[in-house]
Amino acid sequence: MEKDNAPASDPLPPGLSDPEQWVELHGDYLFKYALMRLRDPAKAEDAVQETFLAALKGGKTFAGRSAEKSWLVGILKNKIYDHYRKASRETSFTDLEFYSDEESERFVPDGLLKDGWIHELGPSEWSSPGASLDREVFWKTYRDCSDKLPKNVAAVFNLREVDGMESKEICALLQISESNLWVMLHRARMALRRCLDTHWFGKQAGAPGESTCKDSRRGPTNHHESTLSSDDP
Amino acid sequence: MNLLKPVKTGMITGLRLLMPSCREALRLQSDALERPLPPARRPGLWLHLLLCKWCRYYGQQIRFLRHAAHEHPDELTQAAPQKLSPEARERIKAELRRKH
Repeated sequence: MEKDNAPASDPLPPGLSDPEQWVELHGDYLFKYALMRLRDPAKAEDAVQETFLAALKGGKTFAGRSAEKSWLVGILKNKIYDHYRKASRETSFTDLEFYSDEESERFVPDGLLKDGWIHELGPSEWSSPGASLDREVFWKTYRDCSDKLPKNVAAVFNLREVDGMESKEICALLQISESNLWVMLHRARMALRRCLDTHWFGKQAGAPGESTCKDSRRGPTNHHESTLSSDDP
Repeated sequence: MNLLKPVKTGMITGLRLLMPSCREALRLQSDALERPLPPARRPGLWLHLLLCKWCRYYGQQIRFLRHAAHEHPDELTQAAPQKLSPEARERIKAELRRKH
């Protein structure tokens, strides 16, 4: 281990590239990573800069255990979490305008079958969803859909589903209750599912998205009867 | 027809007492990804999913979303067209030189 007596000018451990190179080597990746989570270019730039500066100071924590990029991503993650933490202190993190229900108009409004799907508007099966995962156009659609989510809801969804953070940690980070978190996740899933259904899976099956002609949505157009369960974890 | 109608109404009402509505079934399936459901809710949801293919598809699809997001973080991040702007790039470099 290196000596600690001259923290600012300590030589960085072997295996790390010259900090001057970091911006060229990792700048864009870190920026995209931050942008997807913060959804604000100025804030994402700040987070990248803070990351490099923190890395410069904490170069000694890089012990060659991880590749330089993942080491920097680890630091960036903490910068992003700091940002969320701050945002949740300043405003209520739960986004009330989003509590209007995405799918409301697809349910029977009253009567005996209240809150059941209006028949021709219920979800239809997605054909070979697993195969979509290899297609760049699918991810483009996915990102567009995710961009339509309210910022806070997208943040919660990404923490949970992309970063795989546990519910309890997210609640502690954002200072929200678990039931709040569950509602936000539910809304995010509902909105994302519907957006992908409209802009990807519905189109694939030959149905013109929102058009809800029974025959085109559930007829023999779903001829690849691949079962989703085989793609599930 | 008139004789059958009350029978049908009665059956639907009975089923509705036993199981959650579609709207509730969506929420329960999302919650089930976060925590074990209370035992009292499970049989009703199970029965609902047995009878309702739409809610079954919905459940498969939100589990697919989890799988997709979790297994492909790079596709979500990496392929985005955005790059660090030249100004930001220079600013950060200057800052790094100053502190280095």
